[in-house]
Amino acid sequence: MSGLHAPGFPEDAVRERARLGAAAAFPDRAEYGRSLFGASATAPADLIDAIRVVPPVFVPQRLEKLIDLGREPVYPDVDLATVVGGFRSPLPLFVSAFGSTRVASTDLGVAVSRAAGRAGVPMVIGENVVPMNGYGRMEGAAASGALRGRLAAYAEHAPDGLGGVVVQQSTEDADAEVWNLVYSDPAATALLDSGRLAFELKVGQGAKPGLGGMTVVSRAAAAAVAEQYTLDDLFGPQAAHVLRCSSPGTFTAEILRQQIRLMRNNFPRARVWVKLPPARDVGDAAAVSWAAGADAVTVDGAEGGTGWAPRGFLDHVGLPLAECLRRIGTPQGGLLVSGRMWAGPRAVKALALGATAVGLGRAALVAADEDPRHGLDRLLECLALELRLLISALGKYTPAALDGEDIWRPDRVDPADLTIYPADLGGERIHEYPHG
Amino acid sequence: MTQVHNPEAVRELPPAPREHLTSPVTRSVLRIQNQITAAAREFLGAAGFVELFPPIIGPVTDPGARGAKQVDVDYYGHRYKLMTSAILYKQASLLAFDKIFYIAPNIRLEPLETCSTSRHLAEFHQIDVEMAGASRQAITHVAEGLVTHAVRRVVDTMPDELAALGRSPDAFAWVLHEPGFGRMTHHDAVLDLHALGHRQSPDAEIDWVGERLLSAQRARPFFITDYPKGSRGFYDRESREHPGSLRNFDLIAPDGYGELCSGSEREHDYARIVTRIRETGENPAKYGWYLELAREGIPASAGFGLGVERFTRYVGGLHSVWQASAYPKLPGVVSP
Repeated sequence: MSGLHAPGFPEDAVRERARLGAAAAFPDRAEYGRSLFGASATAPADLIDAIRVVPPVFVPQRLEKLIDLGREPVYPDVDLATVVGGFRSPLPLFVSAFGSTRVASTDLGVAVSRAAGRAGVPMVIGENVVPMNGYGRMEGAAASGALRGRLAAYAEHAPDGLGGVVVQQSTEDADAEVWNLVYSDPAATALLDSGRLAFELKVGQGAKPGLGGMTVVSRAAAAAVAEQYTLDDLFGPQAAHVLRCSSPGTFTAEILRQQIRLMRNNFPRARVWVKLPPARDVGDAAAVSWAAGADAVTVDGAEGGTGWAPRGFLDHVGLPLAECLRRIGTPQGGLLVSGRMWAGPRAVKALALGATAVGLGRAALVAADEDPRHGLDRLLECLALELRLLISALGKYTPAALDGEDIWRPDRVDPADLTIYPADLGGERIHEYPHG
Repeated sequence: MTQVHNPEAVRELPPAPREHLTSPVTRSVLRIQNQITAAAREFLGAAGFVELFPPIIGPVTDPGARGAKQVDVDYYGHRYKLMTSAILYKQASLLAFDKIFYIAPNIRLEPLETCSTSRHLAEFHQIDVEMAGASRQAITHVAEGLVTHAVRRVVDTMPDELAALGRSPDAFAWVLHEPGFGRMTHHDAVLDLHALGHRQSPDAEIDWVGERLLSAQRARPFFITDYPKGSRGFYDRESREHPGSLRNFDLIAPDGYGELCSGSEREHDYARIVTRIRETGENPAKYGWYLELAREGIPASAGFGLGVERFTRYVGGLHSVWQASAYPKLPGVVSP
């Protein structure tokens, strides 16, 4: 363990899963036969947590499965294989970006890459890794956390035909030509030849919509990147560190459309992903992205984020994920979501709200921190079990079969009837979220 | 008789320098190339173009090369680039003269897949022409004249070299019998390719295979015009009448040899340039010196870059573009 912490995130539960795997989907078995179990008293952190998964009595799709199998279907019969942004994945999951954030630039980044590769689950490598940590081609083996090290760790362990690596590029990365660098690199050839490389255009992120990436860097590191980034000496002249800020980038519908087209033109063998912030026009931006040919749109709810963000942004800025999904409506292409994802129920709710797959950000980091060799494997194992249990309970047998009938939304009920005060949001009322 | 080139059949790599430089084929090819550049200088000089020396490094270079990586140079602690093309300097040079040209070296770390296209080199040269106040029609006329003049010069003065390469002068019948090049829009090229069963994206550059298919069907060079925005660099001028369509062109050699030259009318208005740079995903700040000139005003212009090695390959009827370089560097292949 590296001393990594994720306040406001169910860190202990994720660490337990990283140790115990699928068994952590159930209460401690030592208590079996001795305790009476019921719902926990934990208040929901957001609308998606407040939504309930609602199995029906009548299950026509289970009948189809029954006829197909010639026996009663059970939860292991759920086929979780999903096409995630153009990649075949055994689970409707992917590992979302954590960029040059210090916690991700150590060996943890490589540990996560190895485990994601082994599982055949697509993985995004975040922005600003090259300008900050280098690429790892000419710099020597020391730069193991650099983009190339993560890419190689993934490619080495991925099973044939499964998964894929997604390389993000922000406006500052464009200066270091991250995509061109990867596209012309022999280390990426195997992934390119097997159609398992994608580039993700980063329009914004969940933790601080409207701002660019922000990280705390040492003065020495800051000096080296002073030409590309804005540096803010907000900790005082004596401090060893400064705040490094990326620009948010200027977008109009036409600029977004043309950037996507240029990606398709310049990198015809790579898939195109677009990452959107939880912005009020997220529906329009997603529509433009799909129309321009994006293989997937990733939406990061305001609940997400592994980077350094101002407190005011973490608690008050951006749409919650459920509202993003409502504004997007019926997706016209692959729709990937992230933000506080770590367990089956939240994932199933997001899938029922229209997502194709969900991204693990902090959860993947925390699991690898708990046990670098097997932590993420066990977390995925536990998630897979929960997904199978939940989807089969709904009388369905693929993630794609989930839809709005599978959930009950408290925000569609008269808000006056609701008295949910999520303790960890400082008592903010859940029904204050915009109505669907 | 014309030869239709099929790169799938040829995977030959360049030999070692001694073998390559002493080969009679290389010598014939380089003599033809020498004649081509001499003819180009003669033609452009007579038309009033001033030859300038091209810059080799700069704080920025042409970002328009599809998928190719730029080469960084440590310039006293600042990240400079080797020129992928000198397009920005061509526009700036019009502040000195109305008509300029370079014979310029370019470096592009092309994607590895281009190693087997038979027509990509990581290091190559362009005859780079820029003309103030020119329309696309005027500049394609210059390209047409330049190519015709150089081909005629080689056919007239180097029959022995062509014979040694097995290149029949019949391949250039268009020079004598059918003056003027063909023209088709990108839109029509896409329709033609779809009719041929080739999946060509209507929003993108014509891909290598598509270009070869179109080229193989024709016996004289032709222009493809009006590429869609998003397939080219920010400096290709967007049509005011048909937004989304660019006032640009490629010149395609016939018989399967493919693209020789790219050109366009240029964006010269500051606000349009900044917006177009953003559409390529970059921070306009890195183009500081160029944008400062554009803000104060640079001439409207049109221009093109004609690939010297590709042109030589077509004239000599060579199987690969590397044969037209004394020190060929194929993408990804470590070579002197």
